[in-house]
Amino acid sequence: MEWITLFNKEMLEHWRNFKWIWVPLVLILLAIMDPITTYYLPVILENVGGLPEGAMFEIPELLPVEALMMSLAQLSSLGVLVIVLMSMGTIAGERKSGVAELILVKPIRYLNYITAKWSALLLIVWVSLTLALSTSWYYINLLFGELSFTDLLLTIFFYGLWFSFVITLVIFFSVISRSPGLVAAFTIITTIAMSIITSLFGKHLTWSPSNMSGHIEYAIVSQELTKDLMMTGLITLILIGILIVGAQQIFIRKEQIN
Amino acid sequence: MELLNQIDWAVIAPIIVIDLILIIVALVDLFRRGETNGPKWIWLLVILLISLLGPVVYFIFGRRQQ
Repeated sequence: MEWITLFNKEMLEHWRNFKWIWVPLVLILLAIMDPITTYYLPVILENVGGLPEGAMFEIPELLPVEALMMSLAQLSSLGVLVIVLMSMGTIAGERKSGVAELILVKPIRYLNYITAKWSALLLIVWVSLTLALSTSWYYINLLFGELSFTDLLLTIFFYGLWFSFVITLVIFFSVISRSPGLVAAFTIITTIAMSIITSLFGKHLTWSPSNMSGHIEYAIVSQELTKDLMMTGLITLILIGILIVGAQQIFIRKEQIN
Repeated sequence: MELLNQIDWAVIAPIIVIDLILIIVALVDLFRRGETNGPKWIWLLVILLISLLGPVVYFIFGRRQQ
């Protein structure tokens, strides 16, 4: 009951901020931009000119799965940045402005407060990601060739876990810092550090969440649900769980001190 | 003109529509809002002149935290 109230408050807030409009649209744009530009690259090069007479440009044909990976690459860089900036203020902003204290004066369980905010953000992110990848999938089928619907579902599900992990990081750091800017910085630094560590110790960290895109590509190419992909998904889920419980514990201590 | 014919508008149209929606929503928010984070007319220019990125930057940074 209490949780639903908090959740509805978050939803209302996200509507008022137009997040329900711009987050899906921006992710859709990010997802379709690269496949479309690549498709039209020959036309663009031809018309922009500057090529010496008779210069031949061999642009390799892109496989559908490669085009999909272009979408994921954009979502992994700019997409992550957008969802981090979009969510950085939800707890940190409320704690800074004192709204959090007003809410938590009432006997509300900290876990409810955190998970209600977390779920509202996850809902936006999952809906946006589904729309973005579906649009990209539609274009890929139109421009590059067939990519099955199952491949799309697999991509949405496992890539959604990676986005959920990023949102969970934001929530976790929101509990540690009151400044939305710092929360965003910590989250971005963590994801970058994770991908550096993963590429340095690649052999031992096959199931690192940073490897999600790679495993998705491999699963689509080999047309089977690989063990690596499933394990990466599982590890990501476990990390999300640990972060949420950790965030709750830290939050309880911090608010009690105040 | 040749360039315009080479492009399949069914492919490009959605991008333009999305861009327009973003601009309109950002403008609606800008005009309804009492105060923004910085002068309003600058945000107006940002939203109108910087394609795609302008409205997004406004949504993230333009609005004052309550």
